[in-house]
Amino acid sequence: MRLPSIFRRTPFRLTLLFLALFATTSSALLAYIYVATAAEARRRADQDVRRELAVLESVYSQRGKDALNAALVERTLRGGPYLFLMMDSERRAVTGNISESPIEDAQGPETWASFRISDADQRGRVVRRSARGVEVALAGGERLFVGEDIGDTEAHLARVTQALWGAGALVVLLGLGGGLLISRNVERHMAGLNRVVSAVEEGDMHARATLRGSKDEFDELAGGINHMLDRLEQSMAGLRHAGDAVAHDLRSPLTRMRAKLEVALIEVEAGKGDPRAALETALDEADGLLKTFNTVLAIARLQAAGQAPDPVVFDAAELAADMAELYEPASEDKGLQFQAEVHANLPVRGNRAFVAQALANVIDNAIKYTPEGGAVMLRARRRSSGEVEFSVTDTGPGVPDEDRLRVVQRFVRLENSRSEPGSGLGLSLVAAVAEAHGGRLELDEGPGKVGEMGPGLRVALVFPPAPIA
Amino acid sequence: MRVLIVEDDTEAAGVMVRGLTEAGLQCAHAADGAEGLLAARAGDYDVYVVDRMMPRLDGLAMVETLRKDGDQTPVLFLSALGEIEDRVTGLKAGGDDYLVKPYAFAELVARVEALARRRETGSVQTVLKVGDLEMDLIGRRVTRAGQEIDLQPREFQLLEFLMRHAGQSVTRTMLLEKVWEYHFDPQTNVIDVHISRLRSKIDKGFDRAMLQTVRGAGYRLEA
Repeated sequence: MRLPSIFRRTPFRLTLLFLALFATTSSALLAYIYVATAAEARRRADQDVRRELAVLESVYSQRGKDALNAALVERTLRGGPYLFLMMDSERRAVTGNISESPIEDAQGPETWASFRISDADQRGRVVRRSARGVEVALAGGERLFVGEDIGDTEAHLARVTQALWGAGALVVLLGLGGGLLISRNVERHMAGLNRVVSAVEEGDMHARATLRGSKDEFDELAGGINHMLDRLEQSMAGLRHAGDAVAHDLRSPLTRMRAKLEVALIEVEAGKGDPRAALETALDEADGLLKTFNTVLAIARLQAAGQAPDPVVFDAAELAADMAELYEPASEDKGLQFQAEVHANLPVRGNRAFVAQALANVIDNAIKYTPEGGAVMLRARRRSSGEVEFSVTDTGPGVPDEDRLRVVQRFVRLENSRSEPGSGLGLSLVAAVAEAHGGRLELDEGPGKVGEMGPGLRVALVFPPAPIA
Repeated sequence: MRVLIVEDDTEAAGVMVRGLTEAGLQCAHAADGAEGLLAARAGDYDVYVVDRMMPRLDGLAMVETLRKDGDQTPVLFLSALGEIEDRVTGLKAGGDDYLVKPYAFAELVARVEALARRRETGSVQTVLKVGDLEMDLIGRRVTRAGQEIDLQPREFQLLEFLMRHAGQSVTRTMLLEKVWEYHFDPQTNVIDVHISRLRSKIDKGFDRAMLQTVRGAGYRLEA
């Protein structure tokens, strides 16, 4: 049998559990109080009875049977909670306020008993009341019974017990109600989250949980789930985009290569083509493809690892100087003024080859996009924050503010750069290298417009300082 | 020169054998590490070209075993594992060079030739001679036909590498790796510019150009 859904809810189950615990402990407490109070009532009744008995026995022993008789008559007239009965040796009633001993077949010198007596209440109804009494044998062979009605104490106890049961029932009822409310409340929160999860499961990556602004655990959880989904969606979009881009970027050169080879084959068969030239172009195309492929792979690996492989501490100053030395001739060949300003001793922890590749890409871009007569400046220094910064400033056309975020993405090439060779992966790799090192890539405007030149671009690669070993 | 190719992809190995034979090298092929180990112990080779990932015995284990046996034949690792740490493990295991798949064939030939030739020049040289070009390694002086050539420190290193590999093709990647000691893809023709500067210094005013461009591969210094 399936339980109604409310019983399957954790908060409601917890409420039930706590209620059960409460009921058990309070019942135990109640039982203890009851038993202890009842025992106390009996003890006190026994005390009273014993005292009365002692008085009556002394009357009997000092003044005889008739004096006891008179005392009993006087006590009966006076009234009170006591029960008396004097009997002859045959246990026949002689004097008292009851007609027979409540202790049947009592024998011996002293017999104690708890019993019930019938009485009429104010409205004339017969009620049974508890009593406690003792029957003793007197020296002359007569028997004397003395008892006390303890019905009032017991009735009081019963009333308290009843009140406690009532209170208990109220607590259970309120608890159930509260449990239901809490359960409803939690369920409402969870239902929102569950809806999001199942929506995502069914493929809707845009589903998000609504925050209520209460800043409680549920909001925190919803916020966390939303954040996680954002990241997931982003990386999925990134993957899809990369996949599309790779397909696009590899398909066009592959198609081109295939067409060229096919045409070359036809021409060679017709005896008018140059097979060597065709093969050489095909090789060039294949090299380009391999380059693109390797770069995409490197970016993917860096992003997947989230950290630089095989990191060592190296001097960024030395690396910058090497890069300046490596790129200066190419820059000058293009008619650019190349300057390098490298501060000494800039330790960075990371993968030297990847950082070199990143800096090379940035310098290469600067040389590629700066027209003849311009200038390229490489700087390596420590920022006041302690971070190590490589920056490359050129006097080329720069990148408009609105495109700066875009050019870092994979395969994005601005319109006016399509004429230049390149995969559109250069800055993406730079950004991936920076991120893998806990650093960042910053793009700013260069020195500004001077005549035909400018405004230029300033690309900074910022790395956290190497931890002191 | 004899080359042992240890590669489990038989088609790739076939192409390699054809290409290296074309380049004037004698080739033998083993299909996995265990077979490669037997072949290496049985034959006399100048270079081992070893794929890293193979069934039975992988390339790394094979080379480690050979090195333990005292076999110092140069090893070129081929691998689809391109991570820097893979390169480092490969070189630590006793590899002398490391080439990541996919690679340009010219790169493979140039590196195999460089490794094979390395064995021939055993003694420590203080003077390098290629044709009428002379390099004094101690005095840091270079002359061609007795005429002094003034070189920048890097140009000197570049020429030294080319002279040590005279007659062989060296690729741009090899130059960047061995002369500049960087391992990355420089995107553009930076190496070409350095070479052309060096060329203008050593070949200018002479009838015959020594520093030649090898189409699709790199450069070669000819006596």
